[in-house]
Amino acid sequence: MLFGLLCLTFAISHLVPGDPARLAAGPDASEAMVQTVRARYGLDRPLGVQFVRYLQGLAAGDLGESLRSRNTVRADLARYFPNTFELVTLALLLAVVVGIPLGMLSAVYKDTWIDHWSRVVSVSGVALPAFWLGLMLQLLIALHLGWLPLGGRLGITATPPEPITHLLLVDALLRGQWSTFADAVRHAVLPVVTLCFPALASIMLVNRAEMLETLQQDYIKTARAQGFSSFRVVTRYALRNAMIPTLSMIGLRYGWMLGGTILVETVFDWPGIGLYAVNAAVSSDFQPIMGVTLLVGLNFMLANVVVDLAYGWLDPRIRRPSAT
Amino acid sequence: MKFPRILPCLLALVVLTTAVPASAFERVGDRKILVFAGRQEVPTIDPSIKYDWSIRMMQQALYDGLVKYVGNPPEIQPWLAERWETSADAKTWTFHLVKNARFHNGDPVTAEAVRWSFARTLKLNQGPAWMLSDFLKEDGIKVVNEHTIQFTLAQPYAAFLSFVPWWYVMNPKQVLANEQGGDLGQKWLTDNEAGSGPFKIKRWQQGVLYEIEAVDSYWKGWPSKDHVGGVILKLVRESAAQRAALLRGEADIVEGLTADDYDVVAKTPGIVVPNYPGMTTFGLKMNTQKAPTNDANLRKAVAYAFDYDSLLKIYNGNAVLQTSVLPQAMRGHIAVPGFPKQDLARAKEFLAKSAYASGNVELEYVYVQGLEEERKMGLVLIDNLGKLNIKVKMVPLTWPNMVARAAKVETSPDLLAVFATPVSSDPDAVAYWYHKNSWGKYYGSSFYTNPDVWGLIERARTLAKWDERAPLYADIQKRIVADMPEVFGMLANRRWGMRDHVKGFVFSPVRLTGEVDLYPLAIVTK
Repeated sequence: MLFGLLCLTFAISHLVPGDPARLAAGPDASEAMVQTVRARYGLDRPLGVQFVRYLQGLAAGDLGESLRSRNTVRADLARYFPNTFELVTLALLLAVVVGIPLGMLSAVYKDTWIDHWSRVVSVSGVALPAFWLGLMLQLLIALHLGWLPLGGRLGITATPPEPITHLLLVDALLRGQWSTFADAVRHAVLPVVTLCFPALASIMLVNRAEMLETLQQDYIKTARAQGFSSFRVVTRYALRNAMIPTLSMIGLRYGWMLGGTILVETVFDWPGIGLYAVNAAVSSDFQPIMGVTLLVGLNFMLANVVVDLAYGWLDPRIRRPSAT
Repeated sequence: MKFPRILPCLLALVVLTTAVPASAFERVGDRKILVFAGRQEVPTIDPSIKYDWSIRMMQQALYDGLVKYVGNPPEIQPWLAERWETSADAKTWTFHLVKNARFHNGDPVTAEAVRWSFARTLKLNQGPAWMLSDFLKEDGIKVVNEHTIQFTLAQPYAAFLSFVPWWYVMNPKQVLANEQGGDLGQKWLTDNEAGSGPFKIKRWQQGVLYEIEAVDSYWKGWPSKDHVGGVILKLVRESAAQRAALLRGEADIVEGLTADDYDVVAKTPGIVVPNYPGMTTFGLKMNTQKAPTNDANLRKAVAYAFDYDSLLKIYNGNAVLQTSVLPQAMRGHIAVPGFPKQDLARAKEFLAKSAYASGNVELEYVYVQGLEEERKMGLVLIDNLGKLNIKVKMVPLTWPNMVARAAKVETSPDLLAVFATPVSSDPDAVAYWYHKNSWGKYYGSSFYTNPDVWGLIERARTLAKWDERAPLYADIQKRIVADMPEVFGMLANRRWGMRDHVKGFVFSPVRLTGEVDLYPLAIVTK
């Protein structure tokens, strides 16, 4: 699957017009200078040879070198991916923590004000462009009210903790730098909320729909008839069954968010792989594009594995071998 | 229920009354740190490898050149070289270095360091190498004594001195000590410096911010006792966020706001907007080698039909129209007599003389995707050329795709929106855009062909005396305008949003868009 993804990305990034060597050499560079760059990065070789060399490097853990940053792609990804990972994970956690209960309440209290307001939230989440929402939150919360910072990961004079995991929040905690941790949390609030909103909306909508269907099932009626409390029926029996499609949505959303953080990263100057990938794309710098695609693809696959395992945990019938 | 209805009003009231007052620059100990919010990263600071506005702003702060551009109009001032002389044929250039210049590690700046730095840039053949590589070879650089360096060019080149400010001097000892696999220190110099400039690196967080601190013992001294103690170039990529950062006092200087945003912040107390005509020309390059724009009369019809005043309106009046091929601030500029302005009657006359007398032709206008000003210019074109029965097809392209299209005669569009900034104040820097050797570059997308003009350009660059060069450049300007390879547009003003406690700003039009000379900046609070 990853190999297919690599082939596709390599083909697309080389088929689009654009001369990466010319862009890297600069607008005034002479043809000889462009040739120098071309030769240095092996761009003067036939495409097939370039691809084979890329695969050989990949097998040795070498993702190539960025023409723009002049760093190895591996070093760049190590610098930027943890930021995106933290952003996406926090946003998804928030979406799950808020979206599932909201979907559940919306279904249980169908056609009441709770349901109406929940649907307003969900429709807004789907309809509002993240870019616009981010700018508005920035304008209101950061600029006018001054409650939170405008962007970035830390205050301008703050020094990040010495890396252990390369996850800023985690490292600040592990190093016991509480003020840095608090600063990082304050900087994370607006981007996390912005990124979380569409995911929250879709999780809530799917969960509501599934809960509505599940609550009509006979076993739920039986449970109610047996005198189980409404809370127990909903949370223990209905929610568990309604969670399987919701879980699929969470898995899909995780992959989508990993690859789609660019707008949020741009608005909030969050130094993640979304920005890195776009900067690479506009410079026709294809090795970082390949690296990001590979990493996002890999994470998406891992997320799906986790989701598959969770299915088994939620529904024991899935992990049992089927009777023949 | 009244409450929900008054909720938006209350919210607006809260927003208006609780707007956070602007604070100021950062303080680290007794140092005043200026915060510059810029949109563009600094992927490398190696002086031999690359330059653009953000890279060069930092290179200029960390390194010194033999000479430096200062002021408006840009003048070349002595820097590491206290004086220089040139031979009568502009082939030999001798520079005498100051004796007190020191690299940041304490090593003296010597003629050998200058030789090595120039040789390194030539050898790596990247970044600024193109400026001198046709004329200067490694064996033409000679150390006369510890403080004298001589450049003997392969052929005379009058513009030599005008490019020297961008060739920074590195400390060879420091660079070679950090060489990896014979790379002449390329890897190390990406985010380390070996210079003698007024600042040194403090923090380098790629993709986030770059902090430099003032060298208190800078060999040239400081122009003000209130000079900045350091500068943080913080990446703020969205212009709306830049504006917010300036208003909130999180940034002292911002670049890259929209024309409307500049007008808004200029009216805000505590903020000033320096506003100067730059040297970046904007033109609509026409492909002179491919139909239909290979027809000179059609090109002239387009040039006379275009509403030039609309360019000024697009920039809210913060631009000046070109009066020649060369920008007004450039040496040798003349206001070309009969320079085209909107005249529909003349446009129709030229159209009638062309092979497209009844119009009935479609021109492709290619511009940079997302650049609102260029999109508006396309709409103006549609309106203007519609009166000649010429259709315009607007094609937005990403920058790489646009550069790729401009590289070949066959693919270069009929009309290409191009902003181009000359890197030197010498007229050769712009005249050469019209030479055959510029074909394939984005500013050469007209594929302009006139062997007589090429000959004049080649001759003018080799003459030592300005009195002999000036008439040639006047002739070159007139001839290019007569051939009309482009719709010569305007020079957009350079603007920055700046807190009013920032003093000492010196504008020089030869600097690239957004670039600020950080050395003279000071922070003075009331």
